[in-house]
Amino acid sequence: MVDVSNHTLVPEHVVLSDEDAEAVLEEYGVKRTDLPKIKASDPALPAEAVPGDVLKIVRDSRTTETAVNYRLVIQ
Amino acid sequence: MYTETPKEISEIRFGLMDPEQYREMSATKVITADTYDDDGFPIDMGLMDPRLGVIDPGLECRTCGKHSGSCNGHFGHIELAAPVIHVGFTKLIRRLLRGTCRNCSRLLLTEAEMAEFGDDLTRTRELDGDVSDVTKAAIRQARKADVCPHCGEIQYDIQHEKPTTYYEVQEVLSSDYPELIAKAMQPDPDDEEDEGMAPPQLAEATGLDLSRINQILSGGFRPREDQREALEDALDVDLTEEDLNKLMPSDIRDWFEDIPDDDVAALGIDSTSSRPEWMILTVLPVPPVTARPSITLDNGQRSEDDLTHKLVDIIRINQRFMENREAGAPQLIIEDLWELLQYHVTTFMDNEISGTPPARHRSGRPLKTLSQRLKGKDGRFRNSLSGKRVNFSARTVISPDPTLSLNEVGIPERVATEMTITMNVTDRNVEEARRYVANGPHRHPGANYVRRPDGRRLKVTEKNCEALAGQGEAEAAQVVDVGWEVNRHLVDGDIVIFNRQPSLHRMSIMAHEVVVMPYKTFRLNTVVCPPYNADFDGDEMNLHALQNEEARAEARVLMRVQEQILSPRFGENIIGAIQDHVSGTYLLTHENPRFNETQSLDLLRGTSVDGLPDPDGTDEDGDDYWNGRTIFSELIPDDLSLAFTSSAGDEVVIENGQLLEGTIDEGAVGAFGGQIVDTIMKDHGPTRARIFINEVSSLAMRSIMHFGFSLGIDDESIPGNASEQIEEVIANAYDRVEELITAYEAGEIESLPGRTVDETLELKISQTLGRARDSAGEIAEENFEEDNPAVIMAESGARGNLLNLTQMTACVGQQHVRGERINRGYEGRTLSHYEPGDLSADAHGFVRNSYREGLNPREFFFHAMGGREGLVDTAVRTSKSGYLQRRLINALSELETQYDGTVRDTNDKIVQFEFGEDGTSPVRVSSAVDHDIDIDGIADRVLDAEFDTDGELQSFMDRWQRPTNLSEHGEEPVEAPTDSQPARPVAAEVDDD
Repeated sequence: MVDVSNHTLVPEHVVLSDEDAEAVLEEYGVKRTDLPKIKASDPALPAEAVPGDVLKIVRDSRTTETAVNYRLVIQ
Repeated sequence: MYTETPKEISEIRFGLMDPEQYREMSATKVITADTYDDDGFPIDMGLMDPRLGVIDPGLECRTCGKHSGSCNGHFGHIELAAPVIHVGFTKLIRRLLRGTCRNCSRLLLTEAEMAEFGDDLTRTRELDGDVSDVTKAAIRQARKADVCPHCGEIQYDIQHEKPTTYYEVQEVLSSDYPELIAKAMQPDPDDEEDEGMAPPQLAEATGLDLSRINQILSGGFRPREDQREALEDALDVDLTEEDLNKLMPSDIRDWFEDIPDDDVAALGIDSTSSRPEWMILTVLPVPPVTARPSITLDNGQRSEDDLTHKLVDIIRINQRFMENREAGAPQLIIEDLWELLQYHVTTFMDNEISGTPPARHRSGRPLKTLSQRLKGKDGRFRNSLSGKRVNFSARTVISPDPTLSLNEVGIPERVATEMTITMNVTDRNVEEARRYVANGPHRHPGANYVRRPDGRRLKVTEKNCEALAGQGEAEAAQVVDVGWEVNRHLVDGDIVIFNRQPSLHRMSIMAHEVVVMPYKTFRLNTVVCPPYNADFDGDEMNLHALQNEEARAEARVLMRVQEQILSPRFGENIIGAIQDHVSGTYLLTHENPRFNETQSLDLLRGTSVDGLPDPDGTDEDGDDYWNGRTIFSELIPDDLSLAFTSSAGDEVVIENGQLLEGTIDEGAVGAFGGQIVDTIMKDHGPTRARIFINEVSSLAMRSIMHFGFSLGIDDESIPGNASEQIEEVIANAYDRVEELITAYEAGEIESLPGRTVDETLELKISQTLGRARDSAGEIAEENFEEDNPAVIMAESGARGNLLNLTQMTACVGQQHVRGERINRGYEGRTLSHYEPGDLSADAHGFVRNSYREGLNPREFFFHAMGGREGLVDTAVRTSKSGYLQRRLINALSELETQYDGTVRDTNDKIVQFEFGEDGTSPVRVSSAVDHDIDIDGIADRVLDAEFDTDGELQSFMDRWQRPTNLSEHGEEPVEAPTDSQPARPVAAEVDDD
């Protein structure tokens, strides 16, 4: 199997610790389920991620250097 | 005055309705199928019972006491003689029948499975997923059970016959089982090895007594379930047949009544608002008469609404059903009537069910029942709710008026006197309000209606206008005063909303200031054509008058044309000089012509410039002259400095508001990103930009009128020797094409990679002919004068391009259909004028003539083929892209950027964590070529504003000398700090450059 996370076009996906995830939710004033979702079957998902985790995705952006996104892992 | 306080709806919950609730809210039970008696009065407990509401003016509602117009009507009810199925829920009924036990009505899932699906459901709801996916999976799982896990009852398959019949499919012992068994015991005539089976053998194989076998064979004993299965195994036959057992609606209702609340919850049904048995109707609500008004025809006859007709049918059948049942009619007749009742109730709700003949009117027209009132383009949703027509709007043809400001719109007097603005009378404007009223409804700045503080609305007429305005003797209570409302005519300066369909972007609806004018069209400045995509070939536009101060203020601040100069699509100006404006500024600045004083003043006549600058020099007669660029510079803000390349190709330099060099053309002042307009809009704001655009357009009009500008047939002619050159170029190309064809016929053409030989030939011919047309164009271009109007327009970007010029003067070129040379027509040839297989340029649509010379008939025909494809393409493209746009808009319409910069939907779910990833608006960022923000410029401006003298600035700057922060390992050797430069401690700082 190809590990897509090594591909240049696949941005960095990091699993947030519970405290960090809570901090993100606090910052935006939202529930976990209000975040955008990512399927647990997504090839770009880090191996340790399980449903319910929050991922931090840092993408390259044309207008800003990097754009930070958060996604909730779902089944 | 009474105003409604806005209330926020937090949620809307849909569910089934409890039949008890139908009865409770019912104003009356309806038992009579008739509407009116012989005297024309509604019959009590009939379909037009006065307790159901009133439609005739003057009558009083027997339920609420209100009159027609204010009484909304009240529901009644019909007690159905037997339960019937609600057509809207047939699918759900089928699912429930299949998923629940026929004996104990429990869901056919174990407790564990039920809990699992329950969890799945809550999770899906939280994640905003599709709940029906989960419930469907639950039913699928439940259907697998052959035996109820709760009571052990064997389950049968449910068959659904559309629309409203359900059967239970049971496997029962076939009636001819002895014959079937006997036949299976005989030896198979086609199979020699099969010797058949004698009864003793059968008894042994099945474990039954021989006597019992004989009894079965004689038909004297029906084998039980297990015995049947043993026989089937031993003989390899199927002894069963399917038996369809029809489920009557009453059976289904009984079945559903026993489903426990917890079990339906696992299927996503909230039993507090929707019990499954409520899907089987026992009571039918009768809509109020106001929902089905009868109309009186000219001959005095009443004509009833379709819904009333349908209700009459239902009541009749209902009545007959009851009578027959009481009379003890046979089951067959009862079932027929039941089915008929079901049909009528079904078509009452939906008359377009597949498989059911629609209920028809006497004339044969299908009845328009409940569902048909809501569905489709002409339904309640798309027509009456989303597509309401509005008051205070006007529509007429548009025409241009270059004397208006781009913020203005000219409005015909007739529209201004008809359309009104609501004016709240206060002690500051009583006098003004009375002046409007005094003019009456027909003299222009007048008023059409007034509203007294008690809410009564009075029409202003020729007769009462003076009295209302307090002139002459009138009661004080009848005079317009503080607290009244006056609907006054539109006057100059009012703000209105102006719109042209299709409204594809936000600049399709902008706010304009009114200028009342004679004649019958809306007038607008030509510079606002690009945002509306308007022209004057018969276009019509809509206008809406705003009715309260909040709306007017909002429109003025947010929607006025000058606020919309920048387009959010590409972040540059969409309003600017177009067409003749561009030609005008080009003529004025390209060769920097000289003007004497009179001419200069005339050019600047339409602008606010009221004096000339110092002359640029004196001519040989000793008269002062001014250059075109100097005159143009008068319009530029004094502090503007700019350098860019014009679309004509020369370098434009503006320093301190003076145009020093370069041509002003589309790239400088045009719509769609004219550099000067864009910069003024961003640096000096919308008001200065509006003034600039207005003045540029009026200067340009004066300029183009000064020089005179026209385009005639002779402007496309070229000298004879040029024509000869073009002839030669084309003749050469023809020769080369002939050579290619000869080579092809000799098989000497080598195919290009990925192409066949035929394709290669086509490609080469196309290239040859394309090059020929291009060089013909170049020759023509060389022979044009600089001042040729077509050239001026093409070069300045006002209209047209070089290709258009080439086609007019030199050679129209190859015509295409489907991206190829023209290949269609007859077999092997395009027209009967050519040999089959002719590959020459002429035979495949090359037009060697120019438009000016004229096309020969064959060329004309090919040209029409290509032209037609172009037309079809545009027609298809617009409809395709329109639908695509509509879908995009519908998908994105509820997304909103919040104050924290995130983009969220209406459920507060996050779509983007930062608007557009960078949190910036496209119209608020620099559009400089290198896309950099001029930080130094901004800093300088801030510092200039902050400090009065250079000394203060200098002392501030010195105070803030930043320590050098170069790495020790830098490529450049670091100079040791000298004593004169005091080293400062470096604060912890992150440098992310």
